[in-house]
Amino acid sequence: MQNKSMIVCRCEEVSYDELVESASKYKCSARELKLRTRAGMGYCGGRTCRTMVDNIAHLHHPRTSDEITLKHQAPIRPVRFANLGEVKS
Amino acid sequence: MNNKVIIIGAGPAGLSAAITLAEKNIAVLVIDEYLYAGGRLLGQLYEEKPGTWWNGIVESERLLERAKSLEVEFLLQTSVSDLEKVDQTWLIHTTKGIFRTRHLLLATGAAESPFPIPGWTLPGVMSVGAAQVMTNVHRVKPGKRGVIIGVNVLSSAIAMELQLAGVQVAAITLPHANLLTKGNSNPLEVMNSLLHVAHMAPSPLVKIGSKLMKNDFMKKLGINFYPKNGVKMWDIPIMLRKAVVEIVGKDEVEGVILATINTDGSIVKGSEKRIKADFVCIAGGLYPLAELASLAGCPFHYIEQLGGFIPLHNEQMETNLEGLYVAGNITGIEGAKVALAQGKVAALTISQRLNAGASQHDIKLAIQDVEKTRATAHIQFHPDILAGRQQMKQIWAESVVPLATH
Repeated sequence: MQNKSMIVCRCEEVSYDELVESASKYKCSARELKLRTRAGMGYCGGRTCRTMVDNIAHLHHPRTSDEITLKHQAPIRPVRFANLGEVKS
Repeated sequence: MNNKVIIIGAGPAGLSAAITLAEKNIAVLVIDEYLYAGGRLLGQLYEEKPGTWWNGIVESERLLERAKSLEVEFLLQTSVSDLEKVDQTWLIHTTKGIFRTRHLLLATGAAESPFPIPGWTLPGVMSVGAAQVMTNVHRVKPGKRGVIIGVNVLSSAIAMELQLAGVQVAAITLPHANLLTKGNSNPLEVMNSLLHVAHMAPSPLVKIGSKLMKNDFMKKLGINFYPKNGVKMWDIPIMLRKAVVEIVGKDEVEGVILATINTDGSIVKGSEKRIKADFVCIAGGLYPLAELASLAGCPFHYIEQLGGFIPLHNEQMETNLEGLYVAGNITGIEGAKVALAQGKVAALTISQRLNAGASQHDIKLAIQDVEKTRATAHIQFHPDILAGRQQMKQIWAESVVPLATH
């Protein structure tokens, strides 16, 4: 099987094969791989797949100590809309 | 409300920092998203030497009581979703409102890095840490019979804990090789990484064996003759010559397909067998959980020996951002005792900043204590941890102009 159906990013349903193929085709940074495939861009913000997306990108793209890593974006935990700014009617 | 030090994370690093600060009469608020204080200490239970057990729950209760007696304030079940700096003040956005401080310590610990295996999205597949929390903290069995994929210090310790709780562990075994299981799927590499923790093994035979194997030839011999059905540790078969090819089940985990593998990790064709299990744990190791340092704007460096991306920091546990400190596994994956010692360093550094009676000498002694604890640690998550620490020290020295001299 089955790597075609083996999901790495559950939120955006990006498969292992899709990531590996994109990474080997474009030899791109982790950030670019994310933008190309949407892996890590779903509602969990990449909490599950982040290290995997990063590792796949670096199979073809050497690590440098000053590269821009995958970004974290607020909110880093789920928040209720009410906590962001409740509109009282 | 600005003069309170805030610590995010109530694990060993956070608790020890809170106690040290409170002992200097500094007001402290500790925020944690879990419902108990203790962090990953809560899951830990292992025998340090014959007859002496490290019980994480007892340790965290002891620390919590000490902190409470010093009037440390706790806010549990509170998640931090954002962090920003306005003027000199850190604004911490939480599910219980916004908190402000000039001195913020991030002691957020580590998270588990998974690797994918066909079928890993089935209900009943969890990280090995999740099984540990269910068992040791919530006292709920994750299932009747489980398979642990990934052979490492963490997974073998947790397998033993599951066994103690009456949960059967059918096998600890390797994942079938794919590009993301690197280091976890090659029998020889796994054997190597196990050798430096062999002193933890309960059977004298395994201990003697591991001494013999510290040379390359013996290692290869060892892995070639490694029994196909594994070596038993605490009655659990550890299978370095088997790999899980797939996790199977219709609506939930029903079992795994296990195959025999060659020493290079490749599958012996036709050796696939289906074994029953109602839960599966994936043990891919730990990485520093540093989301908040990233939101704050800390520069990061990838240091493999420390477990991944590490926020830039110095030995005094300061980041390059004024008023932001780090301690514990956010600075690199190590055991709880190192985290405790680092928490103290961070707290003394903060006390010094607040002119609350911590001298440079105190800090120096505390740093030496971290080094001593590291050198005598029972568990080392990476054999080259020192090289990783050294690398961070060097990066700091090269990139940061000392704050104090301007």
